[in-house]
Amino acid sequence: MSVEINTTTATNQSAFVAVLASFWFEFKQNKGALYGLIFIAILAFVAIFADFIAPYSPIEQYRDVLKMPPVWVDGGSWQYVFGTDALGRDQLSRMIYGSRYSFYIGFIVIFFCLTVGVTLGLIAAFSKGLVDNIIMRLMDIILAFPSLLLALALVAIFGPSLENAMIAIAIVFIPHFVRLTRAQALSELGKDYVSSSKTMGASTFRLMFINVLPNCMAPIIVQATMSFSSAILDAAALGFLGMGAQPPTPEWGTMLADSRQYIQSDPWLMAIPGLAILFTVLSINLIGDGLRDALDPKMKKSKA
Amino acid sequence: MLSFLLRRLLVLIPTYIGITLTAFIFIHIIPGDPILVMAGERGLPEEKYQELMQAFGFDQPLWKQYVDYVVQLVQGDFGKSFVTGRPVLDEFFELFPATVELSFFALFFAIIIGIPCGIIAAVKRGSVFDHSLMTISLTGFSMPIFWWALLLIIFFSGYLGWTPVSGRISVLYFFDTPTGFMLIDSWLSDEEGAFSSALSHLILPAIALGTIPMATFARQSRSAMLETLGEDYIKTARAKGLSSFRVVVVHGFRNALIPIVTVIGLSVGTLLGGAILTESIFSWPGIGKWMVDSIFRRDYAVVQGGLILIATMVIIVNLSVDILYGIIDPRIRKKGH
Repeated sequence: MSVEINTTTATNQSAFVAVLASFWFEFKQNKGALYGLIFIAILAFVAIFADFIAPYSPIEQYRDVLKMPPVWVDGGSWQYVFGTDALGRDQLSRMIYGSRYSFYIGFIVIFFCLTVGVTLGLIAAFSKGLVDNIIMRLMDIILAFPSLLLALALVAIFGPSLENAMIAIAIVFIPHFVRLTRAQALSELGKDYVSSSKTMGASTFRLMFINVLPNCMAPIIVQATMSFSSAILDAAALGFLGMGAQPPTPEWGTMLADSRQYIQSDPWLMAIPGLAILFTVLSINLIGDGLRDALDPKMKKSKA
Repeated sequence: MLSFLLRRLLVLIPTYIGITLTAFIFIHIIPGDPILVMAGERGLPEEKYQELMQAFGFDQPLWKQYVDYVVQLVQGDFGKSFVTGRPVLDEFFELFPATVELSFFALFFAIIIGIPCGIIAAVKRGSVFDHSLMTISLTGFSMPIFWWALLLIIFFSGYLGWTPVSGRISVLYFFDTPTGFMLIDSWLSDEEGAFSSALSHLILPAIALGTIPMATFARQSRSAMLETLGEDYIKTARAKGLSSFRVVVVHGFRNALIPIVTVIGLSVGTLLGGAILTESIFSWPGIGKWMVDSIFRRDYAVVQGGLILIATMVIIVNLSVDILYGIIDPRIRKKGH
């Protein structure tokens, strides 16, 4: 008996490895996605080891070197590679610590979207009728408001902080996950494997999460990747409007907002955080495109 | 067609009730007493407080307040601004033309550049043009729009000195604004140079706002065109010896139109909802900036009324797009039967 179980797990494992391998083969065909992945890997390394990499503290103010330009501009110095901001804080260290917030925002928002959004979507698909209608109409209500405006209004209610901004962003993103999951689950529900599980007495919970959900995952993963980058953009936008991370947090959007009054005199203060946001978001979107190509067989066919 | 329309309208009723409820709840869950917030730091005497409580109906039970609120809405009363004391609806209609004007030009810019680029990329798939266009459009799509706007300002206003930084027109001009659309009004006025001033104020915000839609349209047109160009009727058309321009534009593009119209329709709703970032950065006096300013001024009556008005507009736009589909493609109409 135990031997039998071991062999099944072993075949399961090797099947899983084979799936991963073929996925990786497809994924690395897409050069853009590969570059994106490399950039994000480096950024993740920087974020994790920020304490060791950053030359200075991100909030320590060196009052004798205010608004020093970066090293490649006249008047720059290797002491502060990206220069210093209006309060004399080292830009490079702030950028390095700021990368942590991007991952933090992305992961927390996606966590909420996946747990709440996917569960609601599954419930809507399985229950049909009244519950389905209630859930979907609630989502329609959220979608009727422009997302950034709704997020801004929500932060006004909760009070401005990075955590509240993340919750607000998650709330405005959730409807997309609910709709997608519901549509995917509905298309799976009619299939034979679901009815056979049902006949064998599988509970609704088991049907939802163990039978149906894994078969809906591909588009959800792509959506999650794209939402990861949108979350970073929206959080930066809220930070820029003063409703996200509060000073002295070295969040990139907040840094942009701080540098806004110096755009004519010291443009690099806004250039560096903006570029960082752009490259991060672009890399994640490239990865998302690669994932879509690798996970979605329909796209593959149309490409061939 | 009529039953299609009725079905669509019926679904809207619960959604709309939900929207009014959301806006109603909003003013009740903001931290702090709205009247004290309104009074600001000066505070106010007890009798005055009671008087205001009564005036706003805050002393009534919640359900009664909601019913009263809906009755007011139905009568077209969206509340009064705490700050200016003017009806929210009046302020909305005063500022809305600015948003329409900006959205229109942003959309125009996005369509005339995005769609042709997408079509050319699809026709010349795999070429250098295709690759660079896709890279550029993904970059545009990933652009932090507030940063992009600031870059445009640094380059075109600061470095080149071509365009002004903020507002809709130079303060030197005074004329009547019968339509509310600055370009039309300045054209009608006899002021010399007013029109070019209005136009130069419009260009940068329109580009900033149009960038993401442009990237989306280019990507969408490319993929929609790729799909149709692979169809049999395209091969037939080519075999008939039609010019490739005719094949691509008449036979291909017409059939790729539905997904393209979809993204354009969705963008119209988003754009008219107020470009809060672009309008704030360029001090463009539209509804996006109005909402942000009201949130910061804690003018919650405006936020509440504005949310409902904007949601109403988004719903109307989306509904019109749906109806438009029914007209373009009879298959969609029939699906529901």
